[in-house]
This record gives sequence, C-alpha cells and structure tokens, in this order.
Amino acid sequence: MKRVILPVVLLLTMATAGEQFAMSDADRAMYKEMLENNPADIYVEEGGELLEEQLGGEAALAKFLGVSEKELPKYIAGFPRYIKKLGNVVGIDQVLQAMQVEQGKEKYKLKSEKMFSMLAYVKSLANDEQIAIDINADKYIKASYDLGKKTFETARGGRGLSCLSCHSKDIVGMVLRTQPLPDLGEAGAGATWPAYRMTKSSLRTLQRRFQGCMKNALLKVIPIGSKEMVGLEVYVSTLAQDKKQPIAIPGLKR
Amino acid sequence: MKRRNFIKSMVAVSAVVATPMVLMGKEEAAKAKRKGPNDLTYAAAVEAITGGKEVKDSQKVKLTVPEIAENGAVVPVKVEIDHPMEESNYVKAIHVLSTKNGNVRCVDVMLTPANGKGYFATRIKLSTTQEVVGLAELSDGTFIKAAKSVKVTIGGCG
Amino acid sequence: MAEKEARKSMIKIKPKKYKVGDIVKVDFIVIHPMETGLLKDKKTGKIKPAHYIDNITFSFDGKPFTTMKVWETVSTNPYFSVNYKVTGKGKITVDYTDNTGEKNSKSKKLKPKG
Repeated sequence: MKRVILPVVLLLTMATAGEQFAMSDADRAMYKEMLENNPADIYVEEGGELLEEQLGGEAALAKFLGVSEKELPKYIAGFPRYIKKLGNVVGIDQVLQAMQVEQGKEKYKLKSEKMFSMLAYVKSLANDEQIAIDINADKYIKASYDLGKKTFETARGGRGLSCLSCHSKDIVGMVLRTQPLPDLGEAGAGATWPAYRMTKSSLRTLQRRFQGCMKNALLKVIPIGSKEMVGLEVYVSTLAQDKKQPIAIPGLKR
Repeated sequence: MKRRNFIKSMVAVSAVVATPMVLMGKEEAAKAKRKGPNDLTYAAAVEAITGGKEVKDSQKVKLTVPEIAENGAVVPVKVEIDHPMEESNYVKAIHVLSTKNGNVRCVDVMLTPANGKGYFATRIKLSTTQEVVGLAELSDGTFIKAAKSVKVTIGGCG
Repeated sequence: MAEKEARKSMIKIKPKKYKVGDIVKVDFIVIHPMETGLLKDKKTGKIKPAHYIDNITFSFDGKPFTTMKVWETVSTNPYFSVNYKVTGKGKITVDYTDNTGEKNSKSKKLKPKG
C-alpha cells in the first residue's frame, strides 16, 4: 500500500506547490550571471594543471585516445564512448584512470576531488561543441544506451521511484519544493556537468549528481563508473544532444 | 556549507532565544543568545557603522538581490552607488547587512576614488526570509541605504 | 599548528581588453569553508569551529585601494568584486587573512592596451 501511495502524494505536492514560489526571470538572470564567477573555475584550472603534471597534458591524452590534438575537443564531446583498448564504454574519468595506470602513476579514485577536477578540465576542452554520441556507432554503445535508458526508467527502492518519476515529459514545469522540474534535455544536464553545486559548495560530476538523486529518493546508490552509471550518463547526455545544447563546463547548479 | 544544516542551526538559535528565557536569569539568557561567534542585532550593527547618524533611504543606492533565493547559502548581492568617485567627493564605504541573521553584518567595504565607481558584489548566506541592506557612507559623512526582501525557501532535491 | 597549503584562488579582470582610464571589474574568488561556528561535523557530531576570511586588501603595485572587513555570513568559497580605474601597467594583489590567522595572497598583472 505504502509503495503506491507515496509517489501519488509526491505528485500531488508538486502539483499544488503552485507558481508563487517559482523564481522570476530577473532572478534567473542573476543566477546566470553568477556563471561568470563560478568557483568551479578554480577546480577546472587545477584539473588542467594535474593533467599536465601527472599525465603529460592534452598531447598525451590525444595520443592515448588515438586522435590528433586538433580532433580532441570533438572526440571528447562523444563521451562516454567505447574504447577498444579498455574493452568497455567508459567515461572520461575512466580513461584518465587508465592513463594513470599505464604511466605507473597514483590512480585517483573516481569519486575523488582531484579526479572531478581533471574530468571537468578535460570535458571543458569540448566547450561550445555539441554533444556527439552516436548510439549506433557500435553494439557496445547501443547496449550502454539501452541499459542507461532502462536504469532511468526502472522504479526502485522503498518508494518505488525512478528517475522518470520526476523527469518524465508529463511533469516538466511542475514545481517541486520551489524548483520547477526541468526537461533534462532542454536544461542541458549532459552538457553542463561537471558543475559547481551550491548546495554542496563543491565541484560535482554528472554521475556524482545521479548518486545524490538516488540517495534522496531512497534508491540503492550505484557506484560511479559502473555499467549502469555510464549508461545513465550516455542516456542523459543524448537528451541534451537532441536539444542541441552546447557543452559549457563548469556549470553552476543550485 | 550545507544550507539545510545552516538553516537548522539558525532556527535552533532563535528557538533558544525565544522559549526558555522565562526560566532563566538575565545572565543565562544573555549567554544563550550568543550562539554564533559574532552575533549582533541589526540596530546595533547600523549604530556601530553610523555612530547614530541618520541613514536615508535613497534611490542612489541600487541594490540587486534575487526575489527568491535559489539557495539560502549562496545569495548573490550587488550594490551600485550612483555617486561621483572624485578626490573630494566619493563613496567611502559600502556595507552589506541582513536584518535577521544571527550576525547581521556581511561585509564592510572601504573604497577610495581609485575604484572609479561605487560598486561591490558578493554572495552571502541568509538563514531565513529577510531583508538585505546596502548601506553606503559618502565622503561628506552622510549615510544612504536601500533594502530589499529576499525569500529563502527550502527548495529542490538535496 | 600544522603547515597549511596555500589556498586555491583566482583573480579575474573584466572585460578582458581594457585601456588606461577604463573602469574594470576586479573579481576575486577563493576556496574557503567560511565556517560559521554553528554547524556540527556530520562525522564527529562536534560543532565545527568558526573559520572564515575576516580581512581583505586589494592593492595596485603595493598601494591599497580597497579594504574589506568580512564576516562568517559570506558564502562558502566566497566571491568579492570591486571596480578599479586603470592607471597603467602594474600588478593587482589581493591579500587576505582569516580568523585563524592564516595569511594568503594572490596577484594578477594589469596590462592595459592603448
């Protein structure tokens, strides 16, 4: 019984919260202006230094990926993608980890601040590019996309919630605790993470954000870099790709 | 800074101040009031800045704050003073205050003509819905201000 | 007291191109917890002591042009922005201290064109 009622209650709360607490356009503009002074810029800069010192910078990254430095931004815009060398569809962070292993360097944890910084820097190289994930490029990326979509839609946990409970097309624009629920594609979620999360006063990645979402919704938290998480990143990134949202790293989130 | 914890702690402060005072002696009550390191009421803070001089509401102070804060722990504030910045006539200071935080002071900015403009921007924490005040001291010793209300709500996910 | 590493911070001058006589924005962002002294540490359950930047000085070639007194009510990883009227080539320096006595400094060159 409980399982059925709670989502319904949640939906009702969302519906009746009303417009009175929704932010005005002037307010939104003010928060947008804050992007110019994003504390995460400091982490991104640090990420660039780490990449340079630790792994040999963009040149080494391009070499590892088997592309020219000139092609690198567009190639990065296609992550997560299947990397033959690693035998998997992986995120940028997993590529950086593999480079650390190859060069015999200390391996940063996927959930560490340093890895977040480095990932944010690398993804920022693709700023202004469109996300370019081709889900039909090979069977691996297709499988990853399908798993991501399934993970997005599967109701889990004590309350039987899925990502879709708050992010389906039907409820976009409803206000959940003063925040209008965004269309993840329109909001460019896949293109604006890693971002500075004001609530956490730190730089967070998309997969780390998914974890926060799962925790709050009482779903079992899936580890960063797992097949499901990478799949989720692929799926959510393609939503932004469909809406042609350009990559803009670091983002700034409430 | 976790906004929710911050708000909780601020609520705790006001609860301590409000309820058990009847049961306490004066000294104890005074102790209970001082929770944060720099607690100061709005009236006392303004008095400390102006030395009791009159503060006029003025159109010359352009205060920009959000009507609704997306996050009480990060509220953007911008103060612009429409006043010359010359050697003999300039904006001497801009003070950013709130009316209901435990410590109502945020930043005191001492400017000089070298700034070229009476401008200051920062981000502050607000414990609850309240007014944010931009208070300026001009080089002739007069004080002008503008205040705007900011709604702080517990919003969104996590 | 344990040795402290220099804080991460950043000075931005806006707009990027400017000449002598222009009024530019000098933005300073620093990674600092700005602890209020009111919050509990989630892991230990103990109240975290207040730890916040309390004084900032903006200088041009060693000559201060703006000073600030800052309290714990300013957001974590704070941002401070003032104007500066460009007089020529030189160096903008932001010196800042916090309530634990920690001192730090960050500089950026000012290169007006024309």
